[in-house]
Amino acid sequence: MSLSGQRMNEVALLRAQLQDSGYIAEPPLAAALLLMFDLGRPLLLEGDAGVGKTEVAKALATVRKAKLIRLQCYEGLDVHAAMYEWNYQRQLLAIRLLEHDDRAVSVKEQDIFSERYLLKRPLLEAISCAEPPVLLIDEVDRADEAFEAYLLELLSDFQVSIPELGTIHAVSRPLVVITSNGTRELSDALRRRCLYQYIDYPTFEKELAIVEIKVPGAAGQFARQLVEFVQSVRRMDLQKRPGIAETLDWAAALLRLGIATIDGDGADRIVETLSALIKTRDDRAGFTREVIARIAAAC
Amino acid sequence: MLIVAPSQAADVGAAVRARLAGFAGFLHANGFGTAGSDSARVLETADRIGILDPRVLRWSLKALLCGRGDEWRRFDTLFDAYFMPPNKKVFVEHRATSAGVAIPTGGSRDGHEESPAAAADGSSSDDDGIAARHGASREESLASTSFRDLDQAGDARAMEALMRRFARRLKHLQLRREVRFHHGRRLDLRGTIRKSVGSGGTPFRLAWKTRRRVRPRLVLLLDVSRSMSQYSFFYLRLARALCGELSDVHCFIFHTRLTGVSEALRDPDPWRSQERMHLLAAGWAGGTRIGECLRDFNRDHGPRLVHSRTGVIIVSDGYDTGEPALLGECLATLKRRARRLVWINPLLRQPGFTLESRGMQAALPHLDLLTPGADLAGITLILPQIIDTLR
Repeated sequence: MSLSGQRMNEVALLRAQLQDSGYIAEPPLAAALLLMFDLGRPLLLEGDAGVGKTEVAKALATVRKAKLIRLQCYEGLDVHAAMYEWNYQRQLLAIRLLEHDDRAVSVKEQDIFSERYLLKRPLLEAISCAEPPVLLIDEVDRADEAFEAYLLELLSDFQVSIPELGTIHAVSRPLVVITSNGTRELSDALRRRCLYQYIDYPTFEKELAIVEIKVPGAAGQFARQLVEFVQSVRRMDLQKRPGIAETLDWAAALLRLGIATIDGDGADRIVETLSALIKTRDDRAGFTREVIARIAAAC
Repeated sequence: MLIVAPSQAADVGAAVRARLAGFAGFLHANGFGTAGSDSARVLETADRIGILDPRVLRWSLKALLCGRGDEWRRFDTLFDAYFMPPNKKVFVEHRATSAGVAIPTGGSRDGHEESPAAAADGSSSDDDGIAARHGASREESLASTSFRDLDQAGDARAMEALMRRFARRLKHLQLRREVRFHHGRRLDLRGTIRKSVGSGGTPFRLAWKTRRRVRPRLVLLLDVSRSMSQYSFFYLRLARALCGELSDVHCFIFHTRLTGVSEALRDPDPWRSQERMHLLAAGWAGGTRIGECLRDFNRDHGPRLVHSRTGVIIVSDGYDTGEPALLGECLATLKRRARRLVWINPLLRQPGFTLESRGMQAALPHLDLLTPGADLAGITLILPQIIDTLR
């Protein structure tokens, strides 16, 4: 058994790389990503909407200089939209054109069901790339159970059977990132095949770092106040708590309106920008001028 | 934690491996979904990353062995407990008292699943017809008793039969999305062209599509406060039978606070499931704060569980010590999110009971159906009504 402390250095290196591509990763996430490279297992990310699950895959693709292939799941997603589909129109056209061809029937038939007429959807595309891509399966909980079972098969063998064409084996194993918002309980089988990472709302330090990277105009005291304000809002009893995307939008909105400091006196102007941060009517009703002034004064 | 002196490296190496290998079993004993093969994965991971730095080991094993949010939150304490021996005992004992069963560390649960009770339960679904007939004959005699202490297997079968009937009759909702179907009224053009490729482009065989249909999701909120104590066990058993029939059922109990019991109800060991239910139900039987519990539900579970195809069924007598205004407000929120809201009040048909209580008054405007049903015969009577409402 190796007793070397190499891994900690690797974790630090990956974090630095991720930061260069614009993603602030906590050490556990970096460790999980390294383990994902080692074991070749998919990584399942869970957490509230807007905590940056999808961004993980994007940053990973940048770091690995790999292609990002995204499959957005939705209810009723089926094999034809996710895996492959025959291009029937072109096939029919080809049949007509081949009618006066002298070649043997079997040759014609092979031609019609060849890869030329195969439309590759994200999953097939991901396993037929020469270089391992990053495959992002977004919001897998929106797809049906049946699709989840189908996905399991792909993720365990990395091969696809197409009746007319035969079995297609993966050229390279993609790095699979799966995200879930928890609108439906995922099957244990899927969970067991994946590494798992729960992403929580960011801490003050992390969010500050993100704001400083993503919104160059916001810096110093203003950025600290802004993040402190959002962190206070998140501690309130809201229907929809603002995620990181909302923080960034709000920062941009404040800058656009020329608001350079957050304090109790500027509450009127802050009200104008709140639509970037608060997304439901009930929550909005709770944010009166006084409430904003109180939170802002505490920042 | 795992510091090795060079002279004893070989011995200690083996000891460390054994310790690491036992970790997955320890997590399993603490309610994690880890499997036997995970021990090998832990060793493989440790081989790759080294064990000198406890932080990296912790992060990596956390990613490897956790499968869901609650496991993720409990992992760190369990990790500490396992690799720091003095604390370990505390956690195992805690589990033993909370779930009513002691599972030896590292042991498998196979023994429990093969227990005679589980086998008997499994066979009841095999002879479907017999159970149904048996249930029908029992219903008469049960009609007068008010489900206070029902423990016999025959009653459980009657419940199962009733819930099976409910599940079968539960109407499927029609969605806009279309799926291919063997016959229908609308032509699936894409499928038809696909089929006609084989016949040189002539559409001999047609493909059809139809609207997709799904069963509604059901969320049960059961009041188990003291005033409901004589019915709550009955409803829990009913919920358990329903969970066995339908997959998309989510069950919660509440009194002064809200607890999810779906997992306890789905426990394959019926004895353990009942034991868990009993502990959960009897634990805090006290006052009721329906409004606050519904608010907690809306906040913690609403967005995840309740959507436009969800039927929410609340079982409560409506005696509420909380603020009725809050109850009304929470029900309104729930109603906006859910498809249907049904309230079963076991006291409704009792002589002398009126809907005057402030809780019920606040609730009434938001309900799609308010119905009695205090025993099996009562539930059988109202079942068509509920099915009708849920469609």
